[in-house]
Amino acid sequence: MQPYTYLLINFFTIIICFIYSFDRRIQFNRHFGTFAKASIIVAIPFILWDIYFTKIGVWWFNDAYVIGWRIGGLPIEEWLFFICIPFSCVFTYFCLTKFFDLSLFNAFNNIIVFITTIVCAVVALLYFDRTYTMVTAIVMICSVIYFHFIAKQEWIGQASFIFFVLMLGFFPVNGILTGSGLESPIVNYNPNEFLNLRMGTIPIEDAVYGYAQFLWNIYFFTKFKKSTERIENAITS
Amino acid sequence: MNFLIVVLVFTLMEPITWLIHKYVMHGFLWILHKDHHDHSTPGHLEKNDYFFVIFAIPAIALFYFGALQGYNYMFYIGLGITLYGMAYFFVHDIFIHQRIKIFRNTQNPYFLAIRRAHKQHHKYIGKEDGECFGFLFVPIKYFKMFFKPSK
Repeated sequence: MQPYTYLLINFFTIIICFIYSFDRRIQFNRHFGTFAKASIIVAIPFILWDIYFTKIGVWWFNDAYVIGWRIGGLPIEEWLFFICIPFSCVFTYFCLTKFFDLSLFNAFNNIIVFITTIVCAVVALLYFDRTYTMVTAIVMICSVIYFHFIAKQEWIGQASFIFFVLMLGFFPVNGILTGSGLESPIVNYNPNEFLNLRMGTIPIEDAVYGYAQFLWNIYFFTKFKKSTERIENAITS
Repeated sequence: MNFLIVVLVFTLMEPITWLIHKYVMHGFLWILHKDHHDHSTPGHLEKNDYFFVIFAIPAIALFYFGALQGYNYMFYIGLGITLYGMAYFFVHDIFIHQRIKIFRNTQNPYFLAIRRAHKQHHKYIGKEDGECFGFLFVPIKYFKMFFKPSK
C-alpha cells in the first residue's frame, strides 16, 4: 500500500471536484478543454523548474511512497500533481466566483501587489544564497507585476481570497507530502536551500510557490474561457 | 523607540507626499501622473500606477539594509513608509474611489473632508492647475466645511 501514497493523494485531491464537475448547476465539465490547455501551459515551466531543482538536489522524493516510474527524474505522481492540484484549485475558483460576487476583494489589488513585491524583494535580497527561497520570491514578484501592470488583470484580490480558502486543502495535502502523519516525508528539502520556516511540516516557500502556480492557472483559464465564450457567442448569434 | 520611528515616519510621509505630489507628480513626472486626471486616453492602462513601483524601491532598500545591520532604525523607517503606502491604498482605492461600497453614506466630517478635497483636486486635468496636494491631511477649510453644524 505504501508505494501508492503519493498516487492516492493526487486521487483524493481531484476526485470530489471531478464528480461535482458534472453537477447540473456547476457544469465545469464544459470547461475541461479550457482547463487542460491552461494547466498544461502553466505546468511546462513549473515542471522544468521541478526537474532542475530535483537534479541539483534542492529537494528529492522518497522512493518508499511512489510507484517507481520516473520521467525526467520526477516520479510520475509528481507529473500528475501539476494537473490534479490546479484542477481542484481552478474548480474551486470557478464555483466560488460563479455563485458569489467576490469582486469586492479586487479593491485590494494594489495593496496585495505592493506588499507582495516589497516582502518578496526583501526576502530574495536577504536570502540570495538559498536557491528555493530566492527563486520562489523572484517568480512571485515577476508574476504579480506581470498580472497587475502588464496584463492589467482585475481578479488578483478575489483569487488571493480564494487561495486563502484553498489553504483548507493545501494544509492536509502538502502536509502529508512534507511528512505529516508519515514516518518520513515524501518530499525532502535540502536545509541549505530554504528558510527552514515551516507551517507544521510545510516550508513557507511552498505556500508562495503554490500561490504563484495558482495565479498563473487562473490567468490562463480565464483568458481561454473568455475567448471560447466569444467564439460560442459568435456562432450562436 | 522603534515604534516611535514608525509613527514619526508615517507622520512625515504626509508632508513628503504633499511635496512629491505637487512638485514631482505635477512637475517633471507629470507624464506618468497625467492619465490619473485625464481619462480620455484609451484603455485602462494608467501610467500613474508606475508610481507605486517607484515608491516601493526606497522601502525595499531600507528594509534590506536595515535587516543586514541587525534590523536597525532603517528597517523601521521602511516599515513606516510601507504602512503609509498601505494607508494610502486603503483610503484612496477603497474609500475615495469607492472600490468597496463602505462608508458611502458616512457623516464623519474627516472622511467627508478628504473626499471633498480629493474631488477638488481632480476637477482639473491640467498639470499646473489644482489644489489640495495633501492626502490624509487637507486644507483646514475642508474640515471646517463639514464641521459646521448643519442647520
